[in-house]
Amino acid sequence: MAFLTEDQFTALQLLLKAPSKDVVRQICADSFPAGAYKRQSVIEKTANSLSVSSSEAVQLLTAFHTVSHEVVYQNLTSPEQILSIFPESFHSNLKNLITKILLENSVTWRNDALSNQISLPKLVDMEWRVDMKTASDSLSRMAVPTCLLQMKLQDTPCISGGPSESTITMELSRETLDTMIDGLGRIRDQLTAVARK
Amino acid sequence: MLQLHFTNDTLPDNVSTDFQNLNKFSEQQFVSLTEILYQFLLEPKESERFLHQLTEFAGENGMSAGPLRALMKSVLLLPHGALKRNLTAEQVKVDLLSLGLNEEKASHFSDQWRVHYPVLSRLAVGQTLMVNQLVDMEWKFGVTVGTSELQKTGNIFLQLKLVIRKGNTTENVYMELTLPQFYNFLHEMERAKASMDCFS
Repeated sequence: MAFLTEDQFTALQLLLKAPSKDVVRQICADSFPAGAYKRQSVIEKTANSLSVSSSEAVQLLTAFHTVSHEVVYQNLTSPEQILSIFPESFHSNLKNLITKILLENSVTWRNDALSNQISLPKLVDMEWRVDMKTASDSLSRMAVPTCLLQMKLQDTPCISGGPSESTITMELSRETLDTMIDGLGRIRDQLTAVARK
Repeated sequence: MLQLHFTNDTLPDNVSTDFQNLNKFSEQQFVSLTEILYQFLLEPKESERFLHQLTEFAGENGMSAGPLRALMKSVLLLPHGALKRNLTAEQVKVDLLSLGLNEEKASHFSDQWRVHYPVLSRLAVGQTLMVNQLVDMEWKFGVTVGTSELQKTGNIFLQLKLVIRKGNTTENVYMELTLPQFYNFLHEMERAKASMDCFS
């Protein structure tokens, strides 16, 4: 299945101009992040290392970006699967090199994609403290334990912008904490049941 | 100067008079009045009902509602102060006797105090200030089947919604946890509970 056009394969062959294999690797790594092929610094760097024009660099970066993302999307893990993407006429050594680079990086790329997927704000840290209330305006002497819980959440937008962190502090009475632990225990039991299947 | 357990302030004269006036009620009337009073103490939000019951009582017993309400207002000072200072039934009885209430009525009132005290003090604890109180927790967990970056995946996620009371409104906090984070969270909460249990 060809998911690159002929022009894009032609653009990929510009990599043949690279002075070394490491340069190829670098270009491949640079082209992976979203929007990389639009960034001026990346385009210039690629154009300079291959001694090609900016527009050719853009074509190359776009082509490689498409290939690498397709490989990650379809979870192509064997060399044969990746080699079969390329047309017969494609330069053989370059084909093998690109396949090798894709295989090397696809696990990392896949894990990164999993951790950066859209989600609700992620819990990054939590802290708790147990206090003893000894007096209040309604009771001048009391001994009531209470739990304070602080959770740090990070919202990482997938599209643009930096991560935003928020902190929430809450107070739990003993009954609330018991109920919460009940609920969490039920989750744990369900997870165990699912894992067993 | 009366030495009372339930308050350190000097009581205004009308309050002492009001307590002595309680002696004028019959046994039956005092019992009913005490019941109305304790009902209100146990459900402090039902002030409308309390006033309504007092008006009814006044009607049934041939007295005016206004003075009765004023009387009860004074009488309420004692249980409020007693609750704040964690007074025992004996101390409440001593105070009532000091204020001039007769033995029988003082015994009845302090007996009722003994009966209702646990619930009343729990209510007082419940009214104590809580900052950002957690009121509810909802959760769901599931499996991510695919994303725009990965056609097929099988990643487990856990989502929590915590409802927090901030003043008069509630705020919903949504978050996602990975499995290891969830197990850690459960572990930490169990440690907190163990710590709290040490104090019981």
